[in-house]
Amino acid sequence: MTTELLIWLIPLPPVLAFFLIVLFTNRSKALSHTIAVGAALLSWAGSMVVFFRAVGEEHFGEHPFASSVNWLPTGDTWFKIGVSIDPLGAAVLFFVAWTVLMIFLYSVGYHNFGQPKGDHDRAGLPPHGATVTDEHGHKHTVLSVEPMYSRFFAFIGLFAFGMYTLVVSDNLLTMFVGWEIMGLCSYLLIGFWYGKPSARAAAIKAFMTTRIGDVFMLLGIAFLYKATGTLTFSEIFTEETLGVLANTKTFFGLSAAGAIAILLFIGTIGKSAQWPLHVWLPDAMEGPTPVSAMIHAATMVSAGVYAVLRMFPLLTADFTGHGLTTAMSVVAFIGAFTALFSATIAVAQNDIKRVLAYSTISQLGFMIAALGIGAYIAAAFHLITHAFFKALLFLGSGSVIHGMEHGVLHTGNHHIDPQDMFNMGGLRKKMPITFWTFLIGGFALSGFPIITAGFWSKDEILADAFAHGHWAVFITLAVAAFLTAFYTMRQITLTFLGEPRTKEAEHAHETPWTMTAPLVILSIFAIGYGWVGIPEHFPVLGGILPNWFHEFVGGTLLEHPEAVEFSWIPLGTSLLVALGGLGLGWLVYRNVKSPAEDRLQIPVLKNKWYFDEAYDFLFVKPAYWLSETFTYLWMDKGFIDGILHSFGKAAAWVGDAIRNYFDGPVINDFIADKLSHQWTIHPAARAVRKAQTGRIQQYMLASIGVLFVVGVLVYYFLLA
Amino acid sequence: MDFLYNHLLTSILFFPVLAALVILFLPKDEAKLIRWTAFVASLVPFALSLVLWFNFDKSAAGFQFEEQYVWYEALNSTFHLGVDGLSLTMVLLTTLLTPLALLASFSISEKVKGYFMLFLFLETGMLGVFLALDLLIFFVFWEIGLVPMYFLINQWGSANRNYASLKFMIYTMAGSLGLLLAVQMLGVAFGTYDLVALFDKWPYAATLANVALGGMSIGTVKTIAFWAFVVAFAIKVPVWPFHTWLPDAHTEAPTAGSMILAGVLLKLGAYGFLRLVLPLYPMQAQQYAWALAFLAVMAIIFGAFGAYGQTDFKRLVAYSSVNHMGFVLLGIAAAAKAAGTTDAHIAMNGAVLQMFNHGLSAAGMFFLVGVIYERTHTRILSELGGLFPLVPVYGGILIFTSMASLGLPGLNGFISEFLVVRGAWGPLPGFTALAMIGLLFTGAYILKGIKNVLHGPLNEHWAHGEHKLTEISLREVLVMAPLMALILWIGVWPAWILDVINKAVVRLF
Amino acid sequence: MIPLSWYLILAAALFSVGLFGVLARKNAIAILLGVELMLNAVNINLVAFWRYGSLASIAGQVFAIIVFAVAAAEVAVGLGLVISVYRRRNTVVADELDLMKW
Repeated sequence: MTTELLIWLIPLPPVLAFFLIVLFTNRSKALSHTIAVGAALLSWAGSMVVFFRAVGEEHFGEHPFASSVNWLPTGDTWFKIGVSIDPLGAAVLFFVAWTVLMIFLYSVGYHNFGQPKGDHDRAGLPPHGATVTDEHGHKHTVLSVEPMYSRFFAFIGLFAFGMYTLVVSDNLLTMFVGWEIMGLCSYLLIGFWYGKPSARAAAIKAFMTTRIGDVFMLLGIAFLYKATGTLTFSEIFTEETLGVLANTKTFFGLSAAGAIAILLFIGTIGKSAQWPLHVWLPDAMEGPTPVSAMIHAATMVSAGVYAVLRMFPLLTADFTGHGLTTAMSVVAFIGAFTALFSATIAVAQNDIKRVLAYSTISQLGFMIAALGIGAYIAAAFHLITHAFFKALLFLGSGSVIHGMEHGVLHTGNHHIDPQDMFNMGGLRKKMPITFWTFLIGGFALSGFPIITAGFWSKDEILADAFAHGHWAVFITLAVAAFLTAFYTMRQITLTFLGEPRTKEAEHAHETPWTMTAPLVILSIFAIGYGWVGIPEHFPVLGGILPNWFHEFVGGTLLEHPEAVEFSWIPLGTSLLVALGGLGLGWLVYRNVKSPAEDRLQIPVLKNKWYFDEAYDFLFVKPAYWLSETFTYLWMDKGFIDGILHSFGKAAAWVGDAIRNYFDGPVINDFIADKLSHQWTIHPAARAVRKAQTGRIQQYMLASIGVLFVVGVLVYYFLLA
Repeated sequence: MDFLYNHLLTSILFFPVLAALVILFLPKDEAKLIRWTAFVASLVPFALSLVLWFNFDKSAAGFQFEEQYVWYEALNSTFHLGVDGLSLTMVLLTTLLTPLALLASFSISEKVKGYFMLFLFLETGMLGVFLALDLLIFFVFWEIGLVPMYFLINQWGSANRNYASLKFMIYTMAGSLGLLLAVQMLGVAFGTYDLVALFDKWPYAATLANVALGGMSIGTVKTIAFWAFVVAFAIKVPVWPFHTWLPDAHTEAPTAGSMILAGVLLKLGAYGFLRLVLPLYPMQAQQYAWALAFLAVMAIIFGAFGAYGQTDFKRLVAYSSVNHMGFVLLGIAAAAKAAGTTDAHIAMNGAVLQMFNHGLSAAGMFFLVGVIYERTHTRILSELGGLFPLVPVYGGILIFTSMASLGLPGLNGFISEFLVVRGAWGPLPGFTALAMIGLLFTGAYILKGIKNVLHGPLNEHWAHGEHKLTEISLREVLVMAPLMALILWIGVWPAWILDVINKAVVRLF
Repeated sequence: MIPLSWYLILAAALFSVGLFGVLARKNAIAILLGVELMLNAVNINLVAFWRYGSLASIAGQVFAIIVFAVAAAEVAVGLGLVISVYRRRNTVVADELDLMKW
């Protein structure tokens, strides 16, 4: 099979699985998950083949795999869509395939496959547990299987289709198609337990917030298409096209390239949950944990960064190497600000998944900031390492929650929130696999030196910022990195270290192999993936392994980016913030027993800088008012219908007037009644009616008389 | 067969009337017989229009399958029919939606005979507008369509039907008055109503024979006539601020009536723009493109806001039509502004495809509202809620159709909206950017609908006892299945239909 | 041959008898009988004029036959009306049927 054909086929198995499950197999849980996981496995296999063929190609960057077909007729030409895998695409495909497969597998265990049906479970609510009786006649409450098990696999199948489509697309439009399909799935999956009001609200919030970005992105696509006449990447990213775009002036002093890049970037702000559109991601934790891992850590939010990576030549089209362009400054500012801003919020969160959510926003900010300062490879590198270790962390937290739910069912105390870290503690003994893998993920997130992947990628961003003299970005990111290490250690300490703080934590239980196996595999990548991108000039280690990542992914761009000079300052900073943050986190939290003892529970951080409240006041409430009151009541019902009804009333008034002041008195009363009837016709008729006797023979006589007279007259006048 | 093939358009056009006359002689108590007769009869025009579709030569210029008969000799108006890529698409939409609407009407049990006869008359009225190549014939069919629709709303509608049907009738009639005058002026001036002839003569006419202009320049006359045409069609589309008849009419009409109203009748207005306004008034359309675009954007934005502000599910869907048809007009405005360029072709492709797509998704949405209304007898969103676990199949179909309406990529609405936005960005960037507000709120109202009907807290009233909600029936699924298949098909592979549209658009605009 | 005038005199007499019946009799059926006499008087005239006129043209005979047919129809309708009136008003006296009186 040719590689191109294979690339076309990669996205298809999950979408076929979606249709199969929805249409046919939704009643059988085993069949549904077999189909879904099988589809993920097929796509994974295809992706691996493509990836390794790509790695094996010489000068792959100049000759990527590509194939396209005519899709939309537009005037005299056709709009083509197609697939292409270039080095960046291959690298992204690699991590997408792995994480997707792991998450599919994990979902089987997470949704309690094989467990009995719940006592009171109903579709739309998380399972509440089932009562079983063992051979001794004792009753136990155990975890129950998810009532909408099949539907979950259908949805994540569709989601995987969206993600693969996005990655293999050779043009912005089908990429946007994948992007939006993921948006839909994200909506459906966040609102998976739609019986919970919070899940419903979160689903709509996620969809609407990202849609704000999407409509701007759509404008950007239209703009780009108009300006270049194509949306295919390989045709846009040629020197002459970029040159034309860079030299066209548009609004606000931006070049066309910059304007398009910003419009597209707003899409990324929504999708990758950057400030100021970050508000949806933490709430999205209402969804099941595999969803959080897949959508909100590994794939969909990464898609936002991937889009900027794709558009990087456009973003930097008018970048001369000295001083950031307006568009780049915007990107760098948003990224750096978000990185720090959400790290501050993460410090004060108690929900294990929310901490990770804010951490995701923060890490995405790192990548965005890196792209803003032109550190293409560092951003791509961090994107991939982050996808691995953040998926690992989310799945790990899901495993923790699952273990805690086990404890909750055991004690029967349903007031204990299994996601609150202050209810945990000491889980390292109960859940050893989860603990060790979580530790690896957490250390990778914090950038623990040398062994973890997160260190290499984060260090590269800092080094890049330093080397090009972007001090503001460098310092902001360094502080953010310090906070990252700090809250990560806080999380690990509160969750796993020390002694259990509740009975539920004491009865927590390690999760089944379908959940732990993905953790182990992902933790291998969370460590090992860093080694493919060790800078060449790094002391001691540099040069032992070739910097494959730089060589390979760098080939995507027209000009191969140069590696930055090695400097001790960023490396020192990186070591200091990682180790310092981790150490401080452990010192502060090792003896904290309850939220009251936690000094960082500052209201402004706890309440996420009051963004939800502010948006509610500034946008949500006015939108309601604008729709319900202004548009519907005032404008449509009041003003427009008012005018229409006034026409109606005027017509009715004229009719009334004619009837009451003309027809009635003049025609009816005067002419008809008085003039005609009473004065003329009536008396005359009275006189004449005497002749009407009603006797037929008199009538006949009269007619014969008339006939006779007529005969005489005719004879006299005409014939005679 | 040859006879049929040579008179294909007349056969398509008048077969429904024939069927209605047959139904007239059926006993009125045989509801089942009447339903099936009407349904099977309506499949015939559909089959014929498939024949038409596959025998249509999309590369040939001009009108095809033309037929011309003497109609009104004194006025030199002939019964002239013909199709090109634009009308062909609309004919297919009409003949497809009518059987589905009839199938959806099987639950009608009052005055069955009258209902199905009116529906078939309605089909002929609509088809006539799409097929006519003579201004007077166009106008005649334009008005004919009103009558059955008026009675459908007035006789089979819900509570406020008298108000709604009267508003619909009077509003549309009022709009047509200017159109009639302008049509007569053209007829008097050129001695013919034939469109093919008028396309050549009228746009470039420097003088008008036989018409007293009252001291006005020909430009002024053309502008006035242009606006007369525009207002008539704008009311039908409907464009803000002429849209307020639509929520009332849609809400009160019976389910199938709303399907046809949204699916086809609104397209008559847009088709008027394509067939008459742009070819007859290219200069004026270009000059006033900004005004059309302004109205379109207002329709998009306030349609979306209006929909979001509703508490009634059917009204919400009705307002969504205003929103979606705004995109059609935006595409038309862009095509008028940039006539002859690729931008215009893309925008126009988008507008025509949007007409077709909206026909599918709006008809589907109205039908789904009808399905739930038939079972619960309420359309108030707050009285529904949490129905997904009770009716999972219905829920899936509703989400699918809603997403098509929302313009989700991968489904049909996205293609057309994208093409419109792309085409309009060049000539009308400011308006296009403003339209995005509407696009954003499209998401808001669709999600509001889904949330309130399917998600929401479960209203226990529908879960137990005599009010227990029943799942969508097989017949109802059969109504939706063709729509959903087409929605997906156009979303994934639009070339089959867009190619026909595109070739016509490139030649015309 | 008997001269034409004899026939005409006979017809006129018959017509007068009929006219008298129509105008003077009170019974509605008698009035109808009068009408029949008048029609047949006309028939005599028609046939007589044919016999004494051009034998080739058969218009006179044809007219007579048409008059028969009309007379038969008229009687049928008339008697029907009379019966209907009798059923409703229990009388066939023309003077009492004065519904048309103002």
